[in-house]
Amino acid sequence: MSVKVEASHGGIPHGKIAAAGIIIALVSLYIAVIGHEVLGFDYFAFFGGIAAIGALIWGNSAIKRLCSYGIGAGVPSAGMLAFGSGLFGMFLGIAIGAMTSVWIIPVAVLVIALITGVILGWIANTVLNMKIPVMIQSLAELAAVGALTTLGLRTVAIGGLELEAGFVFVAVGFIAVAFMLGAIALQHPFNACLGPGETQDRTNMLVIECGFLSMIIMAVISFVAVSAVAGWISLIIAIIGWAVSYKKYIALSKRDAAAWLDAKPFVDAEEE
Amino acid sequence: MQEIIIGIGVTALAGALAAVAGAAEDTESNIGSQGDPNSQVQLAPQMGYTHRIYNKAVSGEPPAYTLWVTLACGVAWAFLMMGMNAILAIVLGTVLATIVQGVYATTAYLGRTASLSKFGQPVFTDVLKSVTTVTMGHAFVAIFTTVVICYLLATVIGHPFSLPLLGIVWGLALGAAGSATGNPYYGKERQYQNQKFGAGVPISASGNIVRYAEAGQRSSIDNGFFTAKFGGPASGLCFGLIVFFELWRTVLFEHYLAGWGAVIAGAVIIIIFMVIDRYVEKWARENYGPYTEA
Amino acid sequence: MSAIAAKAGADAGAFQPVPSIIALVLAIIVIAVGFVLGVGQTLCLIVLGAALIAFGVHFVPVGGAPAAMGQAPGIATGVPMLAAGAGLAGLFGGAWAAELGLAVALAGGAIGGALMMAITCLMVNMSYVFGMGIPPASGKIEKDPLTGYTQPEFKSQGTEGHGLPFISYVGGVIGGLLGGLGGTLIYLELLAFYEAVMPAADAVGLAGILAVAMFLVIAVLAAYNITGTIEGPHDPKFKRFPRAIIAAILASALCGILALLLMVLA
Repeated sequence: MSVKVEASHGGIPHGKIAAAGIIIALVSLYIAVIGHEVLGFDYFAFFGGIAAIGALIWGNSAIKRLCSYGIGAGVPSAGMLAFGSGLFGMFLGIAIGAMTSVWIIPVAVLVIALITGVILGWIANTVLNMKIPVMIQSLAELAAVGALTTLGLRTVAIGGLELEAGFVFVAVGFIAVAFMLGAIALQHPFNACLGPGETQDRTNMLVIECGFLSMIIMAVISFVAVSAVAGWISLIIAIIGWAVSYKKYIALSKRDAAAWLDAKPFVDAEEE
Repeated sequence: MQEIIIGIGVTALAGALAAVAGAAEDTESNIGSQGDPNSQVQLAPQMGYTHRIYNKAVSGEPPAYTLWVTLACGVAWAFLMMGMNAILAIVLGTVLATIVQGVYATTAYLGRTASLSKFGQPVFTDVLKSVTTVTMGHAFVAIFTTVVICYLLATVIGHPFSLPLLGIVWGLALGAAGSATGNPYYGKERQYQNQKFGAGVPISASGNIVRYAEAGQRSSIDNGFFTAKFGGPASGLCFGLIVFFELWRTVLFEHYLAGWGAVIAGAVIIIIFMVIDRYVEKWARENYGPYTEA
Repeated sequence: MSAIAAKAGADAGAFQPVPSIIALVLAIIVIAVGFVLGVGQTLCLIVLGAALIAFGVHFVPVGGAPAAMGQAPGIATGVPMLAAGAGLAGLFGGAWAAELGLAVALAGGAIGGALMMAITCLMVNMSYVFGMGIPPASGKIEKDPLTGYTQPEFKSQGTEGHGLPFISYVGGVIGGLLGGLGGTLIYLELLAFYEAVMPAADAVGLAGILAVAMFLVIAVLAAYNITGTIEGPHDPKFKRFPRAIIAAILASALCGILALLLMVLA
């Protein structure tokens, strides 16, 4: 006998969260591009992390919607699928940007990943007969989230979006780190807050916390490729962001928990 | 010849490190109660059994360990590229990975337990404080040894993959091996110690996990000593053998038959293990006998 | 990890002819586009590798959460992760042998995956037999097709079986073999393709991470096909594999063409 996936209903509707997530992600990425191309410095690298957080907020809502239908496999698999499929869109978008212009990269990545996800969702729903109403839309969204998150984390590490700097990133495998960071960060909030008492604001706070945690790691790695100033800016913003969201998350957990005991025994129903 | 000797040395070291990694990984995941047995820890309050077990629901062990090891490898590689000493780089990378692991563990425990508020399962902050640091300690050992293995493979043996990519490969293998070997032992033997030995847990008993220890209510810290008796060494043996034989067959036999020597050696090793498994199954059937009506 | 109630449905496992044909037609279109662009052979081999992975995943015995309590046979891990673990261990061996030639590298990758599964499955059985005192028993068949051992009387009461009967063990090894083979094939094809257009270190990194990504996608799709747990090749769910192969063909054709379109850099 295993545990049922339960989550809260109601709260902010998925459409609004998705819109907010996409806007945060795209705007942040474009700010990073502006910083790098127009203003000529890489101090806006940390906006890549903000973009990743926006995408993760979107993705968390999508995973919650998908997994509430009982897909017969675990929640972490959805995260892996998202990032696996999104990675192709990300690379191709960057390559297209290298041929045309950097400004097209965020949109290209988003579109290609969405198309990839739609086809994968169609495969899962019809060929594999999963017949889940939101499958196609959810897998499309998840692929896009995977692509945008990896793109955002990569931006933190290299300061911009374009290709030449990026191949250092690939060749030494840092993209593997971004990939795994994002994959776990995507499925963790929903997986960790699973249960009948799940509340949307607490889960979203956990998304933000996971995003900043991933950003801390990418900021540490970024010292290889970006200027020291930019690296320190990213790192300090990430640490502050993480500390604030972590504290808030603990406060929200205290609010939601049945009891907050310190070294007290539990009382069994059958105990005398 | 020199190359082979160095290769054998690395193989032996990697095998030993892998054994330690496997043992530490299984101990860590049992103390934190991660992976498939954790579904029972999640289920117990819903069946009315409140407990003080650490509900560390950070995905399963394979993806989680892939993340910790890859992240440690990535940070170490970044430090190496900045000219830091290798051991220091690996240690710092592991420290960062362990901190991330600890944070994920705490958020998982808080998240799951707060979401079980309907069933009256409290959040025990003393469990949070005492168990988290213990899991982090074991995780440090597991991650450090695996990163060292990846480093040896990348620099000494000359595998074409970069360090973080090797981290993905071996982190996933570590998680899979430790999870496969250690999960049933923890799930059946410790969580359901109150059931009959020598049989699986009947479905009717789901949720009724062991919540009391010799004196008082247990937390999952004692899973450490319990795992160290069998599950840990078994997982260590599993991962150690995997790493050892994978390297050994290649280092020693790759030069024979233009590379086919390693393939044939691998096939022979697989057949030997198959024979051992056949024998184990036969031994179990003969010595335990079929289940009779009680 | 597998905290989800599996969707029940009498026809959950049924083959879907119309969508499958559409999927195959779409895949053929994508591969044709690949030939037009000059990457057809690479794409075909990538698709073959993915089909092997999808097929191999169905051999691996996975019991999920119930197996962790001795309630179901199989390995107590999730399907995609175990398959990915074995496949990537095989990929490691195959990548190492890459410069020795295609055939040796493929064989090396296959053996690497099979070796990891062989050791893991043996230690699982050791854990059940010596650590828990439970003999292996399957819940779905009367007699093990390979050893002839009868199963029902070795199944403890109230469970669906436990451990890894020999057929499940062999299934696991075969699954690791196919997974390692498929993953290595995808990696080597991508590597050969990228090495022509970029420096070797970049090519290895890019091919490596894309092979890992594709492996995960295919393994998760195959896991969706299995819906949770499978005992091995003798399990009735095993007969669902054609669906997964078709799904893998289209998914890998799509992802493959995206990966190969990077040649626009050249």
